[in-house]
Amino acid sequence: MSVSRRPAVWVLLSVSLLPTAAGLAAALWYGLDSAALARVLATPGVGRSIATSVWTGSLATLIALVLAHLIVAMAASGQWRGRLNALMVPLLAMPHLAIGIGLALVLAPSGLLMRLVSPWATGYALPPDWLIVNDPAGLSLIAGLVLKETCFLVMALGVALAQVPSSQLTLQTATLGYGPLKGWFVAVAPALQRQIRLPLAAVFVFGITNVEMAIPLGPGLPPTFSVLLWRWFTDPDPLINAQAYAGTLVLLGVCGVALLLAAVSARVGRVMWTLFARSGRRRTAEKPLRRVLGTAVAAGWLLGALAIVAIGFRALSGPWRFPDLVPDRLSLGTLEELAMSLTGVGGTTLALALATALAGLAFVVPAAEHCRQSATARQRIGACLFLPLLLPQMTFLFGVQVFLIRLAIDGSFIAVLWSHLIFTLPYLWGILASARAAIEPRYEQVAVTLGVSKLSAWCRITAPLLARSGLTALALAVSVSVALFLPTLFAGAGRFATAATEAAAAAGSGNLRLASGYAVLLAVLPLAAFAVALSGGQVLFRNRRGVPR
Amino acid sequence: MSALELQDVELEIDGRALFAPISVRVAPGAVTSIVGDSGSGKSSLLNFLCGILPPAIRASGQVRLGEQDVTRQSPQSRRLGRLFQDPLLFPHLDVAGNVLFGLRARLSRQARRLRVADALASVGLDGMGDRDPATLSGGQQARVALLRVLLSEPRALLLDEPFSALDDDNRARVRELVFSEARKLGLPTLLVTHDAGDVAAAGGDVVELTAAARGGNDA
Repeated sequence: MSVSRRPAVWVLLSVSLLPTAAGLAAALWYGLDSAALARVLATPGVGRSIATSVWTGSLATLIALVLAHLIVAMAASGQWRGRLNALMVPLLAMPHLAIGIGLALVLAPSGLLMRLVSPWATGYALPPDWLIVNDPAGLSLIAGLVLKETCFLVMALGVALAQVPSSQLTLQTATLGYGPLKGWFVAVAPALQRQIRLPLAAVFVFGITNVEMAIPLGPGLPPTFSVLLWRWFTDPDPLINAQAYAGTLVLLGVCGVALLLAAVSARVGRVMWTLFARSGRRRTAEKPLRRVLGTAVAAGWLLGALAIVAIGFRALSGPWRFPDLVPDRLSLGTLEELAMSLTGVGGTTLALALATALAGLAFVVPAAEHCRQSATARQRIGACLFLPLLLPQMTFLFGVQVFLIRLAIDGSFIAVLWSHLIFTLPYLWGILASARAAIEPRYEQVAVTLGVSKLSAWCRITAPLLARSGLTALALAVSVSVALFLPTLFAGAGRFATAATEAAAAAGSGNLRLASGYAVLLAVLPLAAFAVALSGGQVLFRNRRGVPR
Repeated sequence: MSALELQDVELEIDGRALFAPISVRVAPGAVTSIVGDSGSGKSSLLNFLCGILPPAIRASGQVRLGEQDVTRQSPQSRRLGRLFQDPLLFPHLDVAGNVLFGLRARLSRQARRLRVADALASVGLDGMGDRDPATLSGGQQARVALLRVLLSEPRALLLDEPFSALDDDNRARVRELVFSEARKLGLPTLLVTHDAGDVAAAGGDVVELTAAARGGNDA
């Protein structure tokens, strides 16, 4: 199918790629400044800063990838039967910032975990002087990233699973005498791996470049490179700002090299995998591995849940004495004060998220309509929409800000919405394009031959059949939009206050109590969106078995 | 009702003709069978008659209902009732909702409901209006699909192997029901099939789709 004659497709692609390309161009234009570049490289500790970014991003991605494969393999062979979505969705919906702030409150020496075992087991009546959170090696940052990205990759693998005849393949390996896990890893996992290359690359780049988790959890002196850049961007001194512009290009280069190295190691990995598959060894005792992994998943989930509880406690309590597990009283004064500052920001955040989700739907649905018959076109468009997620956000977002200033809309609602669209469209497309294509095309033909116009047939037949996927897509878009920090900061020209910008600013200045207040918003809005969408999907067509899920 | 006429109808994909040009006249109340191997373009022929041919297939020739040329009309204004191979009941509507979707008559809501309830009763689906179509048997679904088409007041009936998914028992019964309704309403009916039993039961003319002659079309 020729994409060229489809205006809806072109509109969709330009909404995403036009500002991205303009942003990259502007970043190059302003960033290629040898004096500023020299200052960046001469900054004390910058080498260590970059190394920390790469180290944390790489290790977190690798661990998350292995865990995600193991979890999917175990789920496919019976464990957590049908409950995988229920296990993953809450953690997936939770913004990085909220999990990051929550984990900081859980893992810190005075955190929830330590309170759980103190003083009865540890003997500590005062928090010990340990550097657990913000540790120089970035281990807590890695933990936070692993927690989030594992869920993301499990979801990506789940989508890929629909394209692979997994049950036939594992049946085959089982008859050859392989246990379910080894069989899965030999026959199914490589096919899945090929399909999640783009999401995996996005996870990798995000791991290296994120500030959302690096602010609350990452090392302090020196911080990760992107946190350093973020400080330079928000500095009042224009010379330091210029350093930030040049620095984003360094970040871009670092990511490029890292991706290249990752591609090479993936190739090596594939060869080793083939050797592993060809060895012909059958592992019969898979039970211990299952038990270990089951425990790891339970622990991860518990940690996520504790993080949410912790931000709730911290936001609502006044002083919270150390070994007390629960604050001795929830402070009503704090609550009132919090409600005051949260309602405005919460309203903006929600309005922005809903507007982004609906606008995204308006761009995606017509294009999905055009691509319903061509899987190739759907895949290509999906890949194009995914491109911005493979770039360090800072690099092109700074350029996007310049682009928006040219259009004289920087700092406006529309500008922020547009920047949010760039990050939500790939997910909306991922859900809706395939859902639209899966609808039996003859339903519409039946309707038309019954004397109904094409538009009316779409509204009365296609739209209702898409409604469930539409609700899920809207919830996902809301959760993505709520979580976006850098896009809001840049496109909003620093004047646009959402839960994410306020939480990041508070966490950046070390005010964890205020940060927790905003983190509560960050956590609640996506969860509410998913709760509404999922229960709406349940109620909708409850007694109609033939309606697609 | 007027006769359904096809004149010199020809379909081609990439310059290759699917079958030799055909001309058929179906009198009101008559059932003409079109037979041909799978892949001979039977379903595409019906798609052309309905006006829902994909753009990749080029068509020439005329379709007339009596004196009226419907070849260029929009699909929804042709009023050619079509039964597909599967019942294709809309899964999000209940049984009555499906038939109401088809019902053309402009009546009060109440009267439309009564009309549909009567129609359902007339084919042995008494009181099943609020059922989920997915819970019906194949034969029941086929009857609902038939009602949906008939109540849309078509001027001709196009049947695309509508009995092929049914078991032998249901097949004969549904087939009999369809033909008798078509005769009763005086609808010219075109049946596409490769089943000898269908052709025998239809009892009308038989037209065979043959491969197009080689040469000339290889543009």
